[in-house]
Amino acid sequence: MVSGDGGQLYTIEGVAAGLIMIMTAYLVVNATSVYTAGDTHINDMQLEVLGSDALKMMGTPANITMNSVDNSTLRTIIESNDGNKFNATFFPLINNRTLQESDRFIQYTASYTYRYGVDSVNSTFITSSRNLTGGEHTVRATKWVVVNKQLPGDSMVQDRAVLVEVLMWRD
Amino acid sequence: MYKMTDEYANLSIDFLVGFTIFMLAFIWVVSIIPGLLIGLQSNTIDYDAVAYRTGVILAEDPGFPVYIDRSNLSWEEKLKVDKRDVVRLGLAISRDTPNLLSQDKVNGFFHTTLDPFNVTAFNYSIAEDYHTRAIFGDYPLYQANISLREIDRNETRSVGDVIPLDSSYGYIRRLIMIKEPSIATINASDNKNADNVSTHKFSILLNTTKLVLGEVKNPAYQINPVKEQIMINITDLNKTINQPSVNITLSSIAVKRVGDTTPYPFDELYIDDNSVPQLLLPVEVTNKVSLKFKPTFFDLNMVDAEGSQIYLTLTFNLKDSGGNPMNSTFLNNTPGTPFNYDSPNNFDYNYNPNNVRQPQLRPAILEVAVW
Repeated sequence: MVSGDGGQLYTIEGVAAGLIMIMTAYLVVNATSVYTAGDTHINDMQLEVLGSDALKMMGTPANITMNSVDNSTLRTIIESNDGNKFNATFFPLINNRTLQESDRFIQYTASYTYRYGVDSVNSTFITSSRNLTGGEHTVRATKWVVVNKQLPGDSMVQDRAVLVEVLMWRD
Repeated sequence: MYKMTDEYANLSIDFLVGFTIFMLAFIWVVSIIPGLLIGLQSNTIDYDAVAYRTGVILAEDPGFPVYIDRSNLSWEEKLKVDKRDVVRLGLAISRDTPNLLSQDKVNGFFHTTLDPFNVTAFNYSIAEDYHTRAIFGDYPLYQANISLREIDRNETRSVGDVIPLDSSYGYIRRLIMIKEPSIATINASDNKNADNVSTHKFSILLNTTKLVLGEVKNPAYQINPVKEQIMINITDLNKTINQPSVNITLSSIAVKRVGDTTPYPFDELYIDDNSVPQLLLPVEVTNKVSLKFKPTFFDLNMVDAEGSQIYLTLTFNLKDSGGNPMNSTFLNNTPGTPFNYDSPNNFDYNYNPNNVRQPQLRPAILEVAVW
């Protein structure tokens, strides 16, 4: 029985527990820098490439017309506010596979943004395959498209550049 | 000074210092273990990178060699002679058109053989064929599967090993478009005149100067007879005749360039949807004539084919059942004689969709898996 505690420690359990806690904390902090972040980044890159490719395809006309007007799917969709057509084109594109059946686990939400007035920008929702809840780890793919349309704030139909933006995530 | 009388449940400072040093050393060793394991854990990440690299090369690069002139043909043409001349397997039409693929390059890439001595097609089991030209892995030798599905046609082509179901693999998916070459389908009924004679000439103009250097500069939509296949179908020949029981004979096809004195031979001729090419003329025709010119045809036959006006003149003879010449109206856009090259009536192979079905871009998916 200790009757005084100058220059001594109480118990070996206390010291051991303290060291174990320090070691655990050290390992936990250290472990987060091992490749988990890298994996996530690479998955994101795949999604980003996929979204960027899909928008590029939709923005490329299948053939040229005599008057050389861009008749791409993307332009037509924005000019006619056709969210259903966007979904019918974009969703299979990002989910279809070559050798196996599509599992349809990549979801998206799409909108386009344009200049409104002098200094502000406005955004218009196109469509989505599922609503964003806030917990998704989304990646963004964008494409500039020139459309011939009367956007809010415009006095007439004219050529306007809009930025189509798609947020995608794995379900 | 206090003196300890009982050491139960107490530590000495010496033990504490020693134990602390041991634990710090232990922590240090444990902390470097994940680093030691990175080499083992990162295989999947390497595979993803290899798959991504291969995907980019296939979808965004035209490969090497690329077409320069008649003596520097592109890799898909070199492949038809000797695959050892192929350096890199890119599928893009040009480096200015990423994600837009050439039909001929895609066909060449997926044209495989099991014969190890065949030098005009790739053999997956020969490591040099795909690994050194598209996957670029020396050691370890990656296993790979490259597949392409055309969305509209629901056709899938693939090359490589079977993708393992029980282990992970690196993977990339690219969305691409394949350029389908132009085709002219000429309805003979729409191209006849009042000439009631037994010999008829029909002339088609390929103005490569105008096609290549004219209004359409984008290689994705350009008609370039020097780099791409040209196909001409002439249909409904028997509907142009105003006499009963007439035999139609295709007696000659002259491929000629303005300024040249001797005609060049034709490339591939198909009569009445026969799958075997017709090699010799004259030949009897019932209803349809198809002419196909491979991408190298014009360039190998004539210098500066890309800046030429090339005429394809088909001569038909009409005979009765006894073999005697018979007069009738027929497919003819060269009224009067002698035949005039500059006739405004020549069928122009151009960018008018009423004349020629323009090059089409078909959507497709390209997947690369590496493990």
